Amino acid sequence: MLLNRANSGGRWRIRPDGPGKVTGSLTYLTDLTRENMLYGLVLRSEHPHARLARIHTGKAKQLHGVRAVLTHEDVPGLNAFGIANPDQPVFCKDVVRYVGDAIAAVAADSPAIAKQALSLIEVEYDLLETVDDPEMALLPDAPQLHPGGNALHRTSFCKGDTAAGFGQCVHIVEETYYTPRQMHTYMETEGGLFVPEANGRLTVYSPTQHGFMDRMQLARILDMPQTDIRVVSSPIGGSFGGKDELNVQPYGALLALRTGLPVKIHNSRWESVRAGLKRHPMKIRMKTGTDASGKLIAHAVDILADTGPYSTLGAEVLNFATEHVIGPYRYSNLSVMGASAFTNNGMSGEFRGFGGNQAIFALEGQMDRLAERLGMEPWAFRKLNMREPGDPGPFDQPIAATEGAGQVWEAVAKSPLWLEKLNRSQTVTCEPWIKTGIGAAFTMHGAGLGFGIPDPAGGRLQLAPDGKIEAVFSYEEFGQGLLASLELMLIEQFGFAAEDIRIIIGDTDVVPDSGSTTASRATAMMWKSLQRLKEPFLEQMLGRASSVLGIPADLLRLSEGGIRLKENGEAALQLTYKELAQADGAEIRCDTSFHFPVSSTDRVGAHFMYTYSAVAVKAEVNTLTGRVKVLEQFHAVAAGPVINPQGFLGQIEGGSSMALGFALTEEALMEKGFYVTRNMDTYLVPTIAEHRGKVTVLPIEELPAGDEYGPRGIGEVGSVTVAPAIAAAIRDAAGVWVSRLPVNPLELQDVPFFLKEGGDRG
Amino acid sequence: MNEHAVRLGTPYKLSCSVNGSRHEIETAPSARLLSILRDDLALTGAKRSCEIGRCGACMVLVDGKPVNACLTMAYQCSGKSITTIEGLSTINGNDPVQLAFMEEGGFQCGYCTPGMVISVKALLESSPDPSDDEIAEALSGNICRCTGYGGIWRAVKRAVEGRRSSG
Ligand code: FES
Ligand code: FES
Repeated sequence: MLLNRANSGGRWRIRPDGPGKVTGSLTYLTDLTRENMLYGLVLRSEHPHARLARIHTGKAKQLHGVRAVLTHEDVPGLNAFGIANPDQPVFCKDVVRYVGDAIAAVAADSPAIAKQALSLIEVEYDLLETVDDPEMALLPDAPQLHPGGNALHRTSFCKGDTAAGFGQCVHIVEETYYTPRQMHTYMETEGGLFVPEANGRLTVYSPTQHGFMDRMQLARILDMPQTDIRVVSSPIGGSFGGKDELNVQPYGALLALRTGLPVKIHNSRWESVRAGLKRHPMKIRMKTGTDASGKLIAHAVDILADTGPYSTLGAEVLNFATEHVIGPYRYSNLSVMGASAFTNNGMSGEFRGFGGNQAIFALEGQMDRLAERLGMEPWAFRKLNMREPGDPGPFDQPIAATEGAGQVWEAVAKSPLWLEKLNRSQTVTCEPWIKTGIGAAFTMHGAGLGFGIPDPAGGRLQLAPDGKIEAVFSYEEFGQGLLASLELMLIEQFGFAAEDIRIIIGDTDVVPDSGSTTASRATAMMWKSLQRLKEPFLEQMLGRASSVLGIPADLLRLSEGGIRLKENGEAALQLTYKELAQADGAEIRCDTSFHFPVSSTDRVGAHFMYTYSAVAVKAEVNTLTGRVKVLEQFHAVAAGPVINPQGFLGQIEGGSSMALGFALTEEALMEKGFYVTRNMDTYLVPTIAEHRGKVTVLPIEELPAGDEYGPRGIGEVGSVTVAPAIAAAIRDAAGVWVSRLPVNPLELQDVPFFLKEGGDRG
Repeated sequence: MNEHAVRLGTPYKLSCSVNGSRHEIETAPSARLLSILRDDLALTGAKRSCEIGRCGACMVLVDGKPVNACLTMAYQCSGKSITTIEGLSTINGNDPVQLAFMEEGGFQCGYCTPGMVISVKALLESSPDPSDDEIAEALSGNICRCTGYGGIWRAVKRAVEGRRSSG
C-alpha cells in the first residue's frame, strides 16, 4: 500500500514537536542567550597549507571589551579531536592544513568587538605547497601532511581471480565516475551556548548526533572529568551527519571556562562552509564484465576519496563505499581497492548515505551500461545477477536474511513508471528539444556502524513522581521525527495516551548512553529497546497496581490515562498513573542496554542489517539548455514495519531531494585548496521549483517469520539510489551517459535542429 | 544600545510596530532587522541562516509583505508594521497555515518553518487560490533542506482548503 496520509489513518499524527516548530516558539540551542553572555569567534587559517611562524595576540587582548584570546597554549588537555582518531588540532600550533583550521578564538562583549579582535590577531605564515588533488597526494614525492603519510586508509576485498575472469568475459564495460563535494547545508549553522556553572561544572548547549561522544571528546580537551560536563544537544536545525563530529564546541567550552561567563557561538554560513564537513568527493573506476548470457563474471573497482586534512570518519566512509560498490549482485571474481587520501582541501566526513551515494552511483551506472551492451532490459539484467535471499552480504559475511532485494525489484518492475518505459511508443512532441526518459536503480544499504565499531544501544522507561511515563534515550531530534516515532511506539505497544508520555532525550545528565543517532539506527534501536523493556516494565507497573487495587495483576492492563481491567474494555479507570506513582514502593524503572546486531565476521565495517530500495524516475532533458527536470519518482523500500508513516515518507522525500541536488546542482567548488563556493547563492540546494514532480513511496513491511530485528533504518536510503536512476533516465532521454556529478548541462546540450539543418546546407 | 549604533556612532531611534505593539529601538539606521528582532527584542522565531537573502529562514512580514529580515535595514522599517512568526498565532489557536503544516508534515527540523509559514501566509493573502506556478514562485526563496518539499506542497494545498472552509 502506498505511503500517504489517507492510507495511514490514525497512525498519521501531528508530531509532538509540531506546535513549537510551526509557531516559532521552539527554542533552538543557537537561539539561547544568557545575561552577561559573551560572543565567541574563531580565527581560521588564511591558507590551505602553511607553517605557522608566529601568532601575536597582544593587540587583540588589549582591545576594550575583549575577555579572552586563546591559542594552542591555552588548551589544558589534548589539543585535538576526532571521533575515530583525534588528529584535528583544536588550535594549530606549527602547521595549518586547510582553510578551516583554527588558530585562535576570542570572547568579547559584542560580536562586533569579537570580529575586530580577530582582525587584530597577527599570524605569520610560511606557505607550503598545497596538496589539492588526492591522486597527487598519494604520489611518493608529494608533501606529507601527517607523519603516517597521506593515505588515511586503504581497503581491499578480493575473491576469485579478476584477471582470469575478464579473460572469459564477452562484454566488458569500463568507466570512471566522479562525485561532488556535497555540503550538508543544514539550515541551522553550527553553534550553541557554553555555560560555566557555579558548582564548577560546564553545560554545553550545542547540537550533535551523539552527546556522550562530545562529552568524552570535550573532557579530553578540557582535562576535566566527563561527569563535570553536561551536553544538551537537541533540538537541532538539521544535521545529516554534519554535526556528528565536534565543530564549535571546543572553542565555546574553552572560552567559557577561561572567562567564567556564558559564551555564545553561532557560525555564519561562510564559516560553516569553510570549516564544516562535506561529502567525500570520490573518483571510482570500474571495470565489469559478463559472459554472453549476461552473468556477471568479473568486477574490478578502484576507489579514491578526497578526505581533506584530518581523519574524522574518513576511514569508515571508505569502508562503507568499499562494501557498497559490491552491492546486491553476485560476481564470480571480484577485486575492490580503495584509498582515502589526505589533502589540503576542505574536511570530508560523515554525510547521509556515508559513502554509499558515490558507490551506488558508480555501480548502478555499470549495470545500465552492461545491460545496454547486452541489448537487455536493464531491470531484467539486474534480476539475472541479483543476490538470493540466503546469500551472504557483499563481503561474504552472514547477514540478517530478508526477501528485500527481490521485493523491491519486483515493485519497480510492476510500477506504472517502469511499465510506461516498457510500453512507450515514440511520441512526437511540439517541443522536440524536450526529451523524456525513465531510469531505475537498486541498492542494499547497510544500517548501524558495522562490525568492529562500538555500537551500543539501549534506553529506559520509568514512572515519574507526577505520573508521567518517561521514555529516556540519548538519541537526538534533528528533524527526522524521532520524538514522533517514539511516541507512536509507546502508544501502540503499551496503550498509553500521548498525554501520559514524557520523552527525554539529548541531555547527558539524565539519559543513558544509547549510542549515536547515526547510520539509520536510532528508530530500530528504540524499537528493540521497547521490545526488551516491555515485559519487565509491565510487570512492575501492574504489580504495583495490583497491590494498590487488590486485583491480580493478570486481570489488569495499561491504558490511556491509567490502569484498567483487561475485561470490559473501555470501562472506568481503576487507577491513574499519578495515583500509581504516589503509591508506596520502590521507584518503577527499567533499563536495557545491548549492542546493535553485528555480523559474525572479522571484516571491520561489514553490516548485518540492510535496507533494500529501488527507485524509478522519469526525467526530462532540455537539449537546448542541457537542464534536467525530474518529473516523477517511485521508491520501493523494504525496511520492515513502518514505525511512523509521516516520518517514513518525510525521510524518503527528504533524502531523495538531497540526491537530486547531488545529481544535478550541488557542488562546493574548491580551487587550490580555497573554497570558491561561500554561501547559498552559488551552492544550489534544490528549491520547491525543482520539486514539482510526484514522489510515490511504497514501503514493503513484510519480514521473514521469526525475524527479531524489526524495522531497518530508512534515514539514508532515500538519498542513495536517486542519482543513478536520474543518470539512467538521462541516457534514456538524451542518449548521453553521465559519469560525473553534478551533471554538467554542457554535456546534454544538442546543436539545435534548425542550426543542424543550416549546417547541412552550408 | 545595539552594537551597530555603538560602532557607527550614528544614534537612531527606530519606531515601528512589532506584532501589534509599538517599539522605540535605539539602533543604527543600517542595523539589520533580523538582528533587531533576535538580539534586541528576543524574538527568535525568525532564523539566521545565509544572511544574504537566499534562504528565507529569516522571513517576516513588513506591512503584510514578505521580506528577508537579514537584508532589511532599520531605517526601512521606520513607521512600518512588522509581523513575525510569533505574531501569527491567534488566541483561538493556530493559524490555518500553521495547522496545515502540522497536519501534513510540512516540516522536519523546523528551522525553515517560521520563514516558510510567513511566505505561505503572504501568498495566500494576495492569492487565496494559487496555481502551482504561483506556489512554486512564491516559495522558491524559502529553502528547506529536510523535507524535499513534499510535505510543504501538501501543507499549502491544505491551507488553501482550510482557509476556504474557515473563511
Ligand atoms: S537568513 Fe535571510 S534569507 Fe537566509
Ligand atoms: S524542516 Fe529542516 S530545513 Fe525545512
